[in-house]
Amino acid sequence: MLDYLLQQLIFALAIGAIYGLIALGYTMVYGVMRLINFAHGEFFMLGPYVYTFIFSGFIGLGGLAPALDSVIAIVASFVIVGLLGVAIERFAYRPLRAYGRLAPMLSALGMSIVLQSAVRVTIGPQPEHFPAIVPSQPIAALGGMVTTVQLGILAAAILLMVGMALFVNGTRLGIWIRAASESWTTSSLLGIRVNRAVSLVFFIGPGLGAMAGIMYASYYGIMQPTMGSVIGLKAFTAAILGGIGSIPGAMLGGFLLGAIETLGTAFLPLISGGLIGTEYRDVFAFAVLILILLFKPAGLLGETVSEETTVAKKDY
Amino acid sequence: MKKLEKNFTKMLLGWEFRATTLDNERGIFMNRTRVLLSAVALLLATGAMPAAADDIVLGGSAPMSGAQAEFGQSQIDGAQLYFDQLNEKGGIKGNKVVFRALDDRADPRQGTLVAQQFCDDNAVIGVIGHMNSGVTMPALDIYSECGMPQVVPATNPELMRMGFKTVVRPVANDFVQGALPAKYVTEKLGLKKAVLVHDKTVFGQGIAGVFKDNFEAGGGTVAGTFGANPEDVDFSALIASIKLQNPDVVYMGAGMPQLALFLKQMREQGLKAQFIGPDIGFTVDFITQVGAASAEGALMTFQLPPYDSSPELKDFAERHQARFGRAPGPYASLGFANAQVMAAAVEKAETLDREGVLAQLHGVTVDTLLGPVAFDDNGENTTAPMYLYVVKDGKFELVKE
Amino acid sequence: MGNAVITRRLGLLVVLALCVVLLALVPKFPPYYVRVADSILIYIILAVGLNLVVGYAGLLDLGFIAFYAVGAYAYAFLASGQFDIHLPFIVILFIGAAVGALAGVLLGFPVLKLRGDYLAIVTLSFGEIIRIAINNADDLTNGPQGIAGLDRASLFGLPLTSPVHFYWLLLALAIMLCAGVYYMERSIVGKAWRALREDQDVVRGLGINTTTLKLLAFALSAAIGGAGGVIFGSFQRFVSPESFTFQESLLVVLIIIIGGVGNIVGVIAGAIVLVVLPEVLHFAAQYRLLIYGVVLVTVIVLRPGGLVSPRFNLGFIIRKVRTLWLSPSKT
Repeated sequence: MLDYLLQQLIFALAIGAIYGLIALGYTMVYGVMRLINFAHGEFFMLGPYVYTFIFSGFIGLGGLAPALDSVIAIVASFVIVGLLGVAIERFAYRPLRAYGRLAPMLSALGMSIVLQSAVRVTIGPQPEHFPAIVPSQPIAALGGMVTTVQLGILAAAILLMVGMALFVNGTRLGIWIRAASESWTTSSLLGIRVNRAVSLVFFIGPGLGAMAGIMYASYYGIMQPTMGSVIGLKAFTAAILGGIGSIPGAMLGGFLLGAIETLGTAFLPLISGGLIGTEYRDVFAFAVLILILLFKPAGLLGETVSEETTVAKKDY
Repeated sequence: MKKLEKNFTKMLLGWEFRATTLDNERGIFMNRTRVLLSAVALLLATGAMPAAADDIVLGGSAPMSGAQAEFGQSQIDGAQLYFDQLNEKGGIKGNKVVFRALDDRADPRQGTLVAQQFCDDNAVIGVIGHMNSGVTMPALDIYSECGMPQVVPATNPELMRMGFKTVVRPVANDFVQGALPAKYVTEKLGLKKAVLVHDKTVFGQGIAGVFKDNFEAGGGTVAGTFGANPEDVDFSALIASIKLQNPDVVYMGAGMPQLALFLKQMREQGLKAQFIGPDIGFTVDFITQVGAASAEGALMTFQLPPYDSSPELKDFAERHQARFGRAPGPYASLGFANAQVMAAAVEKAETLDREGVLAQLHGVTVDTLLGPVAFDDNGENTTAPMYLYVVKDGKFELVKE
Repeated sequence: MGNAVITRRLGLLVVLALCVVLLALVPKFPPYYVRVADSILIYIILAVGLNLVVGYAGLLDLGFIAFYAVGAYAYAFLASGQFDIHLPFIVILFIGAAVGALAGVLLGFPVLKLRGDYLAIVTLSFGEIIRIAINNADDLTNGPQGIAGLDRASLFGLPLTSPVHFYWLLLALAIMLCAGVYYMERSIVGKAWRALREDQDVVRGLGINTTTLKLLAFALSAAIGGAGGVIFGSFQRFVSPESFTFQESLLVVLIIIIGGVGNIVGVIAGAIVLVVLPEVLHFAAQYRLLIYGVVLVTVIVLRPGGLVSPRFNLGFIIRKVRTLWLSPSKT
């Protein structure tokens, strides 16, 4: 039984890492814009498509060493998807800044439909095979097993998360972002160019989303145009769970959501004697979320919400 | 009088504009409104669809956008391919066939709107639709009220027992599909302990239930039933929990890519049980996505003999590639066969209207891509074939009885 | 009385007459158009209900469709062979509204202290929990199969079977609802809601119980959602979980935002646009959703406050009509 629990925890970590990574981009955008960015999942979906496009382009041109090709394609996907994020902010969100928070939310929803449909009509609705970047090998560990891809994802995700935390807390650009998420007015009075901070966030957030998407695609071996919608919702959930706007909170929320889901699947039927099946996993996850929020109304690591962050505030 | 007219127009249009001009951004608002209005006008103008008077118009509906677009589109493409082929040969009785495909987005409400739209258009004399049982259910009422001959692709057994006389279903319902592999694994392979996984959809849950009944009738026991979400991609926790049951057989009622993902993750965790899936998984993608080594030995049911088994099927695959630039999707062949049935009924009809086609619909016998088709009183295919395939060396191979 | 006033009055009369004639003419159109009109009216009812919460009280509710589902399933349980209960439509309409309100209070009571987007995700979770529970409770709801063959409804002996019947019913309900909300808006409660939207701390400081206020908004809107669900169930005569997805919740929120938040005229415009648009776009086949998305973004970027200006509301129209008729010199 202990083996079983350990095995499930390993799975929880691997899936949680992906949730955390995408929640990270979500929370950064939210922190600065106070925007429920329904389009975030689509950047996640674009990641593997852009990667494949560039990677196969490279191979077509002759290519360098295979490993180097992958690295270049990964970096290029980050940049391209990031720039797309910046462009979308510029044209679909910025004109709506003065109009409260519901208008940008609608715009984000529309953008999400546009991006997903665009990929569907150009590439086709079918799931495409995505070759693993690292070859998948099961390794026996702690009485269970873990695949090399899972380990790779965990390592990469933690690396990116730590890197992001260092960046936001330790660099000049990071200070811009943090200042802008505290208060736009004060930051601009202090000479911080808020628009640049916003653009920066809209570069990094979607870029991170694309990274998560590439990992995800290489883990499961497929990509498809609809893969972003479900995961976008999960990222939103994870970000809220950890306290939206908080970077460590997003990571924690991601791992926690992974754990709740995995343990729900693993133990709901066992504990209830088969009465409650695995199909109640999401009910369980949502119920835990609601419970946590009842006791910690601002998520686990979120700051107590001031009136500033209420949707209600004049914003309409 | 001129003044009156001017005032009147101002009155009609004035409110909206006057209300907005109170805003200080007057100029911008006016401009934006004008841009918007002209965009709407443009949209409406492009909406009209012409069809010549003596064309035979047939309707088709399936989800062409949203999460199930892949399956719906493949069905529409398959049907379109057949009608194209027919038109190349001069159409039906010298009339060109126009296939009008509408998107129902897998939403029952939009399905009823589509159904009503077909019904209202007297030119439409037959409909192939809908793909989802839940969408077909409320639409049946509407089609039967306007006497619309309908070929149903949805596979829920319930649909044909509701007493509607306007429908036929060439494709085998889920009963046949669930029964065949259950019989095979209990009788031929002697496997007795199964675990069921399904995605809580009408199709997945239904077919898993049929498998269960037949498996138990064949002397097997079902050690557990696990539900998942239709969009799930991570089954690792589920599989670890299934491993505790140590089954001989895992039957999965779900769609793609879930079937492939499940099998791949199942093999990664070292669960060796016999894997069985339904027709949706019968694609080359399944094997690519699982990996040839892991897919080895998996069983899959399908309504067709192998694509390379007959010249017609090979021809179908090649034509599809040529017409749409991709290999036939999951339901392309079914769409093609449904179109064949509908066309055969139209061909036999004495008058080219709904009554004429309806009179022939139940009695039609036609040699389709699916094999020979004939219907019983309920409109079910009496001879609906079902084939069992096994993955061998990275290819689907027919299991000989 | 000058010439201008007469033309204006004439114009007004013509506009009003046009509206009435148009509404009365809808049933004369082919059934498809009537069905589209029915869809529009159902979404107007839903959106007016949700607007109480989002537009007036300023709470973002992303799980509104759950109440709609509760109502629809109430009809399915109480008027079908499922449990062999066959209650009259009007009774279930009230039961649906009551059950909806109850669900609203049950959800609202614990979560209304949450603010902003935390409330949004909790309502979203609630909506999903209801949908998944309906999908999983096979013995009760037939699970994903749905419940088919619901009773044909009738109201005071009049049959409610064709789209035209439902058109008149829905139209009457929608008008009653809009009138009710219009008066509510002007009542002390409506004013308190608006205050709540502007600054809930101040409202609390004034000694008003904000939780009761929010709960009232929640319960009312949920009751409307529930009643809408009953009508949907009796109209479609089939219910299944596919009709109550998160996308549907979002659609109702979109209707409010794109029309103009907190404005009944805006909500009506939004419902018309978002129901008609996908129908108009049928010609685009697989490009339909793409164009739909592009239109959404374009509209909101061009008209960030919604299609209908906040000033052009029901009050404005009534005032306009009244002043033009009673004291034309003031206009």
